[in-house]
Amino acid sequence: MIEVTAVTKAFSTNTAEVRAVDEVNLEVNPGEFVLILGRSGSGKSTLLAMLAGLICPTSGTVKLRGRDIGNLPEDEIAGLRAKEIGFVFQFSGLIPTITALENVMLPTLFCPDGPGSRSRAIELLRKVGMSHREDAYPRTLSSGEMKRVAIARALINEPSILIADEPTGDLDSVTEIEIMELFKELNFDGTTIVMVTHNPDLVPYGTKTYGMNHGKLVEVFSPPCVNSAQQSSSYSSRKDAT
Amino acid sequence: MNQKMDYFTFIAASLRNKPGRNLATIFCFAFIAANIFSAQYIIAGAVGSVDLGVSRMGADILVAAPQYSVFYKYVGPENTAAIVKVEPSTLRINARSVDSTGSVEGVAKTSQQLYVTTMNLPELSSSPVDIFGIDPATDFTIQPWLNHPLNSPLGPGEVIIGNTIKGAISSQISVLAHPYIIAGRLDPTRTAVDTTIFLRMEDAYALAVADGIVPSSAPRIIPGDINGVLVKVKPGADPAMVQARIKAPNAALTVLGRHFTLDPVSKEIQGLPNLLIMITAVVVLAAFPLIALISAMVARERQREIGLLKSMGAKRNIILFLIMTESLVLATLGGIAGIGASIVIFSLLNIHRVLTSGVQVSLHMPAPHEIAVMVGMALFIVMIIGSLASLWPAYQSSIMNPYDAIRHEG
Repeated sequence: MIEVTAVTKAFSTNTAEVRAVDEVNLEVNPGEFVLILGRSGSGKSTLLAMLAGLICPTSGTVKLRGRDIGNLPEDEIAGLRAKEIGFVFQFSGLIPTITALENVMLPTLFCPDGPGSRSRAIELLRKVGMSHREDAYPRTLSSGEMKRVAIARALINEPSILIADEPTGDLDSVTEIEIMELFKELNFDGTTIVMVTHNPDLVPYGTKTYGMNHGKLVEVFSPPCVNSAQQSSSYSSRKDAT
Repeated sequence: MNQKMDYFTFIAASLRNKPGRNLATIFCFAFIAANIFSAQYIIAGAVGSVDLGVSRMGADILVAAPQYSVFYKYVGPENTAAIVKVEPSTLRINARSVDSTGSVEGVAKTSQQLYVTTMNLPELSSSPVDIFGIDPATDFTIQPWLNHPLNSPLGPGEVIIGNTIKGAISSQISVLAHPYIIAGRLDPTRTAVDTTIFLRMEDAYALAVADGIVPSSAPRIIPGDINGVLVKVKPGADPAMVQARIKAPNAALTVLGRHFTLDPVSKEIQGLPNLLIMITAVVVLAAFPLIALISAMVARERQREIGLLKSMGAKRNIILFLIMTESLVLATLGGIAGIGASIVIFSLLNIHRVLTSGVQVSLHMPAPHEIAVMVGMALFIVMIIGSLASLWPAYQSSIMNPYDAIRHEG
């Protein structure tokens, strides 16, 4: 589904060139829950931004379903983000001026032909346990609730992949577990997830875990993937059917 | 239940939830709209007043029978009176003898008048009433004094009455058993016009045959008789020269000129619109960067939000559309508020005549259709300003890298 080949992202400073991501190779298959572990500044968020087409790599290729998203015109990448990628940020990322339900429906503005709709938004809010707060404005929600709404929003257009940038970084441990259980459930239902975190306690949730340090990526843990393969096949057939 | 999010909901929510910021922006737009509308209103009012004033100044030249100057009180260079109608006299000429006046070089228009009689009509006026015949199609000295325009041209059996004559519009009056319908009333002139009834020339001839209308010592009025021709000189033409040209082939006729000009007044009034246009231009020029600055600040404040929208798949044109539409909505609301406030203030000022004394011009209220055009123009200009002022911030937002925008600490 995602194929990252020799990707490098370099930033120039006054004194030198900093390689935030350095010659990274990564493959994410349908139905996987890929965790990328790393400390702050290790380059994991930059890698995630490249996977989502938010920034272009300095070198190397990022392919989503076989298309090199690093070389697409900006509007085409935007269209791809609207259809294929759901993004959950470390901060809530909710628009403060609209309700939870409207926030979930917001991506349907940019994907008019997609499956997103009001009824699906309500269904997703129910799925993330927020159906009772659909008319609430973000300022009245707790951090955990905002995160749940953000996850529902990321899924509204039935993206191929859900990308989450430290989604539990600002949550207490109880809420963190609740959110991770939600991710686990979504993955079990067939959603492909790539998530970065600095918390090693979350490793058991992933089907594949990588470590990132100074821009380099190494696979640190891969449990037997029987379930993952099954999920993968099941998810692929579901996607094809749609 | 399958509907999607729509732009209107998003824009409306965005505007609704930032009242302070949006009110400040609306105020700026209202200020500009009020200035543009007010300037147009005052200019139209002043120009309308001048036009009306000039048209009420009557004729530049009066052509009448020989010896007519005996009756005319204002002969000579000291004549500063407006020539609105001929003086009551039995000195008449045949209309055909002055037909050529209209084709004299420098003559813009001519109109004939006939004095019929003066009589006591106590049911209509406490003072003696003059009765005149006019040609409604060519008249340019009487009808400008109407306090309301006639619904249709003065028809047979209809009259225009001076300000102090009793009777309501559309009511019937009777003169020597001849019934007439009052079609219009004139504004006060503080002259004999206030106690005059004006009929169509044909009705005047018909009335003139009645016994006792014309003194037995004076010649009877016959169709074709008139007392004088009122002449309007073309703009730029020298009235004295035109007067001489009219007099040349008719040496016996009395040809009187008006010995004052409206040029100084016109020049003074012409300066007013220029001043107002300049003030408006300064206000618009000063407000434009202010609005652009507010738009830029708003766009910067919303950098993270814009980054989020882009990360969800919003294309450049959508970001441009969202920001410019918000600005347009604010401009429209501000425009309506500013124009509405101006109309209310102008209404109050008109009531108390503050404006009239303030600008030293008797302001003429523009007609509703003129006001509608001014409202449309002011709104259009404000919307153009709103669009242009938000164009650059909207463009900057649309090309913003979503990753940088999201990481922006707004």
